[in-house]
Amino acid sequence: MSLFEDVRVLCELPGVSGREGPVRDYLISRLPAGVSYDIDAMGNLYVEKQGAARPKNKVVLFAHMDEVGLMITYITEEGYLKFDEIGGIDPAVLIGRTVKLECGLTGVIALKAIHLCEGEEARKIPEMRELYIAIGAKDKADAEQYVELGSFATYVSDYVEFGKSLVKMKALDDRFGCALMLDLLHQDLPYDTTFVFTVQEEVGARGAAAAAFRTEPDIAVILETTTAGDICGVEGERRACVLGEGPVVSYMDRGTVYDYHLYSLAMETAKEAGIPAQTKTLVAGGNDSSSVQRAGAGSRVLAISAPTRYLHSPVDVLDKEDVLSMQKLLSVLLPKLAEQ
Amino acid sequence: MDLAALLQELVSVPGVSGLEDKVARVAMDALRPYVDELYKTPMGAVVGTIKGHGPALVLDAHLDQIGLVITAYGGNGFLRFDKCGGVDPRTLSGMEVIIHGEEDLFGVVSSIPPHLAKKEDAGKAKDFRELAIDTGLSDEELKRKVKLGDRVSLKAYPAQLLNGLVSGAAMDDRAGIAALIRTAELLRDAECDRTVSFQFTVREEVGGRAAAATAYNINAHAAIAVDVSFARTPGIDHRDAALIDKGPMIGYSPILDKGLFDRMKQIAEEKGIPYQLEIMHRGTGTHADELTNLKAGLPVGLVSIPLRYMHTTVETVSLEDIENTARLLAETVLAGPPEGEGGVA
Repeated sequence: MSLFEDVRVLCELPGVSGREGPVRDYLISRLPAGVSYDIDAMGNLYVEKQGAARPKNKVVLFAHMDEVGLMITYITEEGYLKFDEIGGIDPAVLIGRTVKLECGLTGVIALKAIHLCEGEEARKIPEMRELYIAIGAKDKADAEQYVELGSFATYVSDYVEFGKSLVKMKALDDRFGCALMLDLLHQDLPYDTTFVFTVQEEVGARGAAAAAFRTEPDIAVILETTTAGDICGVEGERRACVLGEGPVVSYMDRGTVYDYHLYSLAMETAKEAGIPAQTKTLVAGGNDSSSVQRAGAGSRVLAISAPTRYLHSPVDVLDKEDVLSMQKLLSVLLPKLAEQ
Repeated sequence: MDLAALLQELVSVPGVSGLEDKVARVAMDALRPYVDELYKTPMGAVVGTIKGHGPALVLDAHLDQIGLVITAYGGNGFLRFDKCGGVDPRTLSGMEVIIHGEEDLFGVVSSIPPHLAKKEDAGKAKDFRELAIDTGLSDEELKRKVKLGDRVSLKAYPAQLLNGLVSGAAMDDRAGIAALIRTAELLRDAECDRTVSFQFTVREEVGGRAAAATAYNINAHAAIAVDVSFARTPGIDHRDAALIDKGPMIGYSPILDKGLFDRMKQIAEEKGIPYQLEIMHRGTGTHADELTNLKAGLPVGLVSIPLRYMHTTVETVSLEDIENTARLLAETVLAGPPEGEGGVA
């Protein structure tokens, strides 16, 4: 199975923070023979892969299984579902979208018809709490037959390859990272490596804290997606990073000050090997690194991410070329980290 | 006829205003088995007629749907656009689209990442001109494949909701087209001996400009426009909307024919067809407005299918409402024009 077939299947699965089960089950079903795995109390999945040699440093790779989504918090008398977001979502990307509910029903999110809005209202993006999901229920009792409070909804968004080499789907953040780790697990590795598929990243990098405490990495590598602002009309450093210019190696973001030497090593390694790589031109975003770095007695962290447009919307977009560069970079970098 | 399947087929074919050829073909094929005469007009509308006695009752629904139009190349694989019909600007962020260029191309309307969002813009929908479509192509290739003026349709994920409701793009007015095709089937089954013409019109969403031209060669005694109208959702004044799944809306306004309005109400009562009233105090914003001025003037009625979330990709209608619309129209045709047709009340 190719990397992007795994990406497609993984992204399709519902797995909002705290409810990562379907993703974990799929990953387990795809593990190669000869690896051992375990699941902890929070739901993190640990996989130990033996390499050709024992490493000097314990290297642990992280990717998170959860995705952003919605949680049903109230059912109105008319049978509409009110919700709160799980993870950071801009309400603007929800309006006019279709969602899949945990119970299997499909729902839509929309507003009062634009024709009936007056003045400012026609341009107003309401607060999250003003939005609702319509499932076609006749009233509250009808909706209650199907929908439980606390149940989740995920975006409906299919896998599309478009343009030169772009991919669009929901949940590429961070099922793409999961697929990349799965791909590594299927290869012969030079050194023993630990892989952790974490839970609850989108609600505060919570699973990763427990996972780092348990695995005690010398060096932790977080495989992620990161916001690219290289859209029409945005120039220079405000783009943060650019699709097609290689994986992003972070020196600092809103959650983490990364290990400077690992950052430098990764950038130099890419340069020497002629692999495109970039760093972010803004201090923005965050990921599991913030928790991993400070768990237990602490560890050295490195984050390598695929630049991704429209993150946390139904239409995450990344470039397959960046993913291929990321694979190449990891193949030359991981042995160095183990030996360092 | 499987109405659900027909509607799905109709909404699966794009037909943004001015580019209705494909959907016209599909609708024409679906209507063909039920009519005696079928042709396309110079503007691309479809007219099908069941021949019987007397002049025709014209039933009108529009083929076209709202979309976007490419206005400029934005660089870095992006395209600038404007609306082609009244797309709801609140739904643009992260919208998936199909650009109908040399070939159909997928694209995504850009949303603004949090680090670029300005505080003062929070809670405001972006203007059409501020956003761009991400195609992922090189500018060179983009210029080869996409012309300025190319139309863009909004990609939807058609869905079945509870209680026979369905959602998707272009329900406005494919629901009306489906209702007319179903009407034609009901009339054929009833061995209708009245003349009735079905006209599937074009370019309604950009101002309604082809209804009268389409009907021009029909010897008509009256017309009924069949469109969608507002179904109640949260925040809508109850006077402005009907209830979904409670039957077609029979329209009345100063510009519509009172006789036809009364007659359709009476027929619905007699035949036990559920209906609702849509009372408007001026023009109706549908093809009815234009058809009243056909040649020397025509008595015109309006029947609307209740629809939620108009001009989005999650427009929602009830299949039962479409069926009841068809029943009401078929019974109205079969009842024939009243004595002294003219409709002045």
